[in-house]
Amino acid sequence: MAAPTRRRSGWRRRLGAFARFVGALALVGGVYTGFAPGIYADEADESFQALVAQGEELYNNSCISCHGVNAAGVDGRGPSLIGVGSASVEFQVNSGRMPMAMQETQAERKPPVFTPEEATALAAYIQTLGGGPEALPTEVVEAMVADVMTDPYSVAEGGDLFRVNCSSCHGYATGGGALSSGAYAPSLAGVPADQIYEAMLTGPQNMPVFADNQLEPEEKAQIIAYVEYLNTDQNPGGWGLGRFGPSTEGLAIFLVGISTLAIATLWIAGKS
Amino acid sequence: MKRRKFDAAQLPGKVGGALDDRFKLASPTRKLMTKVFPDHWSFLLGEIALFSFIVLLLTGTFLALFFEPSMVEVHYEGSYLPLRGIEMSKAYESTLHISFDIRGGLVIRQMHHWGALLFVAAILVHMGRTFFSGAFRKPRETNWVIGGILFILAFFEGLLGYSIPDDGLSGTGLRIIHGITESIPLIGSWAAHALFGGEFPGEVIITRFYILHVLLVPGIMLALIAVHVGLVFSQKHSQWPGPGRTETNVVGYRMFPNYAAKQGGFFMLVFAVIALMGGLFQINPLWLFGPYEASVVSSGSQPDFYVMFLDGLVRLFPNWELSGFGFILPAVFWPAVVGMGVAFTVPLLYPFIERRFAKDRAHHNLLERPRDNPTRTAVGAMFASIWLITTVTGSNDIIADKFNISLNAMTWGGRIGIVVIPVLTFYITKRICLGLQQHDREVLAHGIETGIMRRDPDGRFYEIHQPLTDEVDEHGHPKVLEYNGWTVPKKMNRVGALKPGLRGFFKPIELPGDSTDQSSIEPSDSREEIEAGKK
Amino acid sequence: MSAAQHDSSADEPVDVTDGKLSRFEIVKEGLRRDGIEILHYEPAFPVPGTKVEKRIERFIAFCFVVAGLGALGFVAVYAFWPWEYEYAEFGGAGSMSKWYTPMLGLTLGLGLAGLGIGILTWAKKLLPVEELVQERHDGGSKEEDRVITGAVVGNMVDETGIKRRPMLKRALLFGAAPLGLAAIAPLGALIVPPGDDLFTTGFNPSNNDGKPVGLMLKDGTLVRPDMISVGGQITAYPAIPDGSTNRHADSPVLLIHLRDGDAKKARENAYEMYEGAQWNNYIAYSKICTHVGCPASLYEQQTNRLLCPCHQSQFLITDNAKPVFGPATRHLPQLPIDVDEDGFFYAVSDFLVPIGPAFWERG
Repeated sequence: MAAPTRRRSGWRRRLGAFARFVGALALVGGVYTGFAPGIYADEADESFQALVAQGEELYNNSCISCHGVNAAGVDGRGPSLIGVGSASVEFQVNSGRMPMAMQETQAERKPPVFTPEEATALAAYIQTLGGGPEALPTEVVEAMVADVMTDPYSVAEGGDLFRVNCSSCHGYATGGGALSSGAYAPSLAGVPADQIYEAMLTGPQNMPVFADNQLEPEEKAQIIAYVEYLNTDQNPGGWGLGRFGPSTEGLAIFLVGISTLAIATLWIAGKS
Repeated sequence: MKRRKFDAAQLPGKVGGALDDRFKLASPTRKLMTKVFPDHWSFLLGEIALFSFIVLLLTGTFLALFFEPSMVEVHYEGSYLPLRGIEMSKAYESTLHISFDIRGGLVIRQMHHWGALLFVAAILVHMGRTFFSGAFRKPRETNWVIGGILFILAFFEGLLGYSIPDDGLSGTGLRIIHGITESIPLIGSWAAHALFGGEFPGEVIITRFYILHVLLVPGIMLALIAVHVGLVFSQKHSQWPGPGRTETNVVGYRMFPNYAAKQGGFFMLVFAVIALMGGLFQINPLWLFGPYEASVVSSGSQPDFYVMFLDGLVRLFPNWELSGFGFILPAVFWPAVVGMGVAFTVPLLYPFIERRFAKDRAHHNLLERPRDNPTRTAVGAMFASIWLITTVTGSNDIIADKFNISLNAMTWGGRIGIVVIPVLTFYITKRICLGLQQHDREVLAHGIETGIMRRDPDGRFYEIHQPLTDEVDEHGHPKVLEYNGWTVPKKMNRVGALKPGLRGFFKPIELPGDSTDQSSIEPSDSREEIEAGKK
Repeated sequence: MSAAQHDSSADEPVDVTDGKLSRFEIVKEGLRRDGIEILHYEPAFPVPGTKVEKRIERFIAFCFVVAGLGALGFVAVYAFWPWEYEYAEFGGAGSMSKWYTPMLGLTLGLGLAGLGIGILTWAKKLLPVEELVQERHDGGSKEEDRVITGAVVGNMVDETGIKRRPMLKRALLFGAAPLGLAAIAPLGALIVPPGDDLFTTGFNPSNNDGKPVGLMLKDGTLVRPDMISVGGQITAYPAIPDGSTNRHADSPVLLIHLRDGDAKKARENAYEMYEGAQWNNYIAYSKICTHVGCPASLYEQQTNRLLCPCHQSQFLITDNAKPVFGPATRHLPQLPIDVDEDGFFYAVSDFLVPIGPAFWERG
């Protein structure tokens, strides 16, 4: 007779298999849980939904009168916001242009009515309604711009892009300019980087759209860096007279130069 | 060896003697030094132009030592960071070099540009004085014409000067110059090609402009300025009517020391104003404009103020183009070429036009107060209003933007204004002149209003008038005086009835009891009869 | 002394070498010989050493000192003040160099003003107060001078004999006039025949060996339709060497991606010659304004107007870019475009009309 083979009893074998099965499940489940968003997803989902809900509430209280239910627009009062994207909303609301004070040719910059958080909420709501260009977080834009500022050649490229695309409306010195029939391109002095970014991205009112396929984010950052550079660099030649160019220079020569010297002639010579 | 005694006191005499032996300077020196010049503040306005021209020559020489008038393209590697690596012409690069990499370059550049603006502004003001006082009449018509030509040359000199740095703003202006030249009938395209050496912008325009700006035009201007001032010297300056002044004399003070000192001091003041403005007010910051590129432009683009009237005319003129048989007379020809032509030639011809209409062929050395020639004054005011409207229109886009006015409305406003306002200005100015003349004669007839009211027994209120003459007619009323072209006193302190106010800025210069010992000054024992007027 | 006129130079001259005259009397004699009379002459301060006079002298001296200090200040600032360019925020740290130019202007201005005011105060307050009259001796020359000059000139003309020698006169004219012409002939070197310069641009296939010319951005990237957003525009140049430089200043083009509705309108409004010039919703117009040549580049997305900043001409993009306001008369030429098999834009042909400002033979 062969040595007796120890055989597990049937129930032990089944128990072991069961344990191995549970172990494998636990392993897979654990790995999955470790890598999957899990409960955070629920939280983020919830906070995003809360944001959208807040946005909807703000919208229904302030914007619906001109932009209509579900941002579909109201004839003669406000265009549809379907597809304008969160970037548009952030720009218009953070720059105070929206809500518009009255119906006029162009919405003008004024102190914002909503806080930046409320603006983000509105933006999120509008984004969910119809998609569109999305805003980049302020820190991201500012980081890109700061990066460009470290390299003068990059700033110079921004200047080149500015002159080809932007100076015709906003002026060489970023002071703005008139458009037809009461519209205008506003001054860029002191405008936050993310607002300039959003404006390029979305093309508000008469401004053409410069989406990312046309001006890459890097190029937009270069332009913003150039604009900021110009607006913060102190004039080396004295008081800039508003950087308006020959018009204020001509005014200055008469109001200062000729006036001073004419008064001097009155002092020097006779009067009768 | 005998040592020669060196006597310093004798030196001027010896030098003078040596010069006179060779050049016969004694009489001319005396004549020059004692020449009499009239003294009025408005006669100094032309000096502003003369002195700023000298400053322009000085600062321009400095700039010429560093500027490169070449259109060859280079990559910028200078100090101004936002243009690093950008391709630009050498002209633009050297201007940036002067502004940022040459010690004091920017202040000299700014002084040069402010000096240029002051030069043209002073010419305009000086032309205004000469016009409104009638100084251009015979025998000074030639000097007026020379002055007008100097204005035209100054206009072009400035235009050339701000164009040679080849920056974005002036390059746009160059494009416009090309378009205007093209618009000339028959020869337009040939003239433009000749000027630019080919298609716009070509490779020679900056170099050509440069040599015109530093050599040809200043050379002609120097010569004309010499003739202009020389004529004033030889014909003697005109003067305002007044006591002792006639058509055949000049009343004033001597060239030396009085006039020369005032001129020298004023030169320093003009220079000081240019220096102060050149340092404290930034002008033409062309690093903000970038190099000239044909596809780049800025909103709010204007030429310098003295060219703005042309820009305004071009903006206002409607799009009336004539075409036929395969030929076109572009619309811009009328405001830019014809308008400029008229603006430059009609004022030059004015003395002859006025002579014809006023039928006045007499010799005039005494000036006319503006009110005494209402038509001329009104015509001048009318031209000034046209100039003002067109110059302001040249900035209409900046005004529209900053004052929230519709751009289209500004254009229409300008179009209507340029037709309506000059007519109104003419009429109103003429009426004002006539009114002032009337008041002069009223005061001469009735005396100065003293402001003292009296009531006679009948209860009637009347104001006491101070007569200007002792003479009375048969009725005991003061004689009516004739107007003699001279300022009529209208305040009591002008006729010595009241002392002038205490002089001094913070406190009176002389306090009572502080005056000099009067005993040595004898009152004159005879009083002269002051005669005035044109005799 | 009365102000009545008399020709003082006709009086008998006084002997100035006579030792008895005072210096001022010699001066007066000189004045008399020049026709000048003194109406009024007195020193500014007949009594020397008064407080007022000293005060004025101190003031003038002060002005000159200021002038000297100003000038020295100028030299000191020029040599020692930091001046090299650096980026510096308004009022920020390290901005001393931004004050270099203002300090130079201030010190120089102060120095010059000090000198000027000092000299002027001296002239006004310390010089003798005087009023003199000088005769003008105006008008033409004396009659006899005119007669003599007339005779001299007439005689000279006769001496040359030009009047009696008509053949010589004609020969002279015949010779002189062409010499004048020869003098200005070299200016002819300036002349460059325009040829067809004004009728062709960089988009002409002749610039590309007869092949159609592509569209590129400033950096040389060829343009594809997906590079322009709806409602956006780019500036495009001919894809030839130096195409984006001033060597082809007549060529820049504004490529606009219109919205569906606007593109449809543009297609419907197109002039006959521009039918098919659009490619789907993309339309390309010459950037060079037809008024005087500035780049008309202010594209208003909502009104579809293209504004030129120089003289405010406005062109309607959805209607052949014809001018609807301002001094421009002709529409902006449209560039007929298409997309090749690789997906890049190209110009089917050169512009169909000359670009830019009009000229006589444009027709």
